[in-house]
Amino acid sequence: AAEPWPENAALYQQLKEEQILLSDNASSLAVQAFLQMCNLPIRVICRANAEYMSPSGKVPFIHVGNQVVSELGPIVQFVKAKGHSLSDGLDEVQKAEMKAYMELVNNMLLTAELYLQWCDDVTVEEITHPRYGSPYPWPLNRILSYQKQWEVRRKMKAIGWAGKTLEQVLEDVDQCCHALSQRLGTQPYFFNKQPTELDALVFGHLFTILTTQLITDELSEKVKNYSNLTAFCRRIEQQYFEGHEKDSSTIAARSSKRSLLR
Amino acid sequence: MAAPMELSCWGGDWGLPSLHPESLTVMAYAKFSGAPLAVNTINNSWRAPKGDLPVLVSEDIVISQPAKILNFLRKQKYNADYDLSAKQGADTLAYIALLEEKLLPALLHTFWIEAENYCSVTKPWFASKIAFPLSLYLPGKMSREALNRILLTKGGPPLYSLTEVEAQIYRDAKECLNLLSKRLGTSQFFFGDTPTTLDAFVFGFLAPIYKVCFPRVQLQEHLKQLPNLCRFCDDILTSYFRLTVSGHAPAGQDTADANLQKLTQLVNKESNLIEKMDDNLRKSPQHPPRKLTTLKLAAGGEESSPISRLSP
Repeated sequence: AAEPWPENAALYQQLKEEQILLSDNASSLAVQAFLQMCNLPIRVICRANAEYMSPSGKVPFIHVGNQVVSELGPIVQFVKAKGHSLSDGLDEVQKAEMKAYMELVNNMLLTAELYLQWCDDVTVEEITHPRYGSPYPWPLNRILSYQKQWEVRRKMKAIGWAGKTLEQVLEDVDQCCHALSQRLGTQPYFFNKQPTELDALVFGHLFTILTTQLITDELSEKVKNYSNLTAFCRRIEQQYFEGHEKDSSTIAARSSKRSLLR
Repeated sequence: MAAPMELSCWGGDWGLPSLHPESLTVMAYAKFSGAPLAVNTINNSWRAPKGDLPVLVSEDIVISQPAKILNFLRKQKYNADYDLSAKQGADTLAYIALLEEKLLPALLHTFWIEAENYCSVTKPWFASKIAFPLSLYLPGKMSREALNRILLTKGGPPLYSLTEVEAQIYRDAKECLNLLSKRLGTSQFFFGDTPTTLDAFVFGFLAPIYKVCFPRVQLQEHLKQLPNLCRFCDDILTSYFRLTVSGHAPAGQDTADANLQKLTQLVNKESNLIEKMDDNLRKSPQHPPRKLTTLKLAAGGEESSPISRLSP
């Protein structure tokens, strides 16, 4: 028996216009897409301190009833415990494949996004530092962004990405998109007829990459090389995000983000 | 392609060509694709490892990470993935990512961070393979790097202590092993009958867990409950690595098995003989005792009458 989903369920992320970064936006959009696919209504609330409110330090997180859950993985499990699941129709081998592809996206796409926004000096100076610390007065904004940068660079070093050049990172993104494109083929979703959390995750990342203006367009060009991936993003956007008038914050933001799909 | 390629990597023990998962992956791939590779195991010489092992040296080109080494081998036309479809190639990448995210932390933990394992097995083994002053420093450095990696990637909130992180990574690793087992099913390799890159990576990660004898072995015990993965490792070891490197353990087992077989045959023969003897005994002339009993009855009857006659 499914427990009722409360009306005032909320998803928290950073401020859309000024503060949120590429990787966080991707994660947040993935969760929103997932919840839309499950037909669970949720409000998106933007707060400057969303990262600090989150139980795991990562955005987005959802506040449902009296529980707070962050990140796509735990949210999928939480929703499943409430009785809604997108991947019930898959057999064991398909579930293994789905988990493997989700790890691929996290491993390559998310890490590449983090690399680009925190380890590439040009992007850091011009986009990341101004955006990340924008809600706070000087000198707090600089201190917080340097702290975060130091943290991310440590992590990159531990997993061996610190030695990579930007070209190598872009090549990895290309390889990942190639793999996703091959897996998707001509099907509407990754597991044929029904969308799953993998579709939500891939949509979140690819759509954000395609619609975010960075210093150069190289990252989005890599994704645009694969036409079935862009068609996939457009299809999910049309099906799950348009026509939701109450979600005015996302639509307004999207139009101001110079959507390159139109 | 003409000059032989040299691979420097960590050596092996307990029936494995190498203990280091990445070295093992490269070696396995070289065997699968038929690349002629001269393998140098690091062995107590001053040619200290430049940075990370394994390192491939070919005509002055030095390549150091397994993914790059495999790419290089593919460009040299040693390609084990030749028959794979595009989708299977994509699956390969995805499963490798799964292995690195879910299984590698637990593997690193078992080797380098679990105190008993590290002190009694890993550190002495690695220290014995490196020249003297470096052997005091390098295992410690590898251990610190492993701990760092695990804490930075897995150790954020809401996990606040090392034991919670450990519990989580072992849960993830066991789930990963289950997923691999389901994917492998009953086929011999992951994509049909010929081994590919994915088989090399899975073998590289699983074989150390499977074969190395540690004091604390929760991951090994879980792996042994998945017989198709164990069979996968053993198949690759026996078919592709003829166990020239201290392979005495399986050879010893073979002779032990042969001895056991001979013993059971002897015992069977003996029991057959005994059964035959029993049969013979039953069939053999034991009638005299029976005749005696009948005679006694008759004699008893006859005897009683003479006695009765004698009494008066």
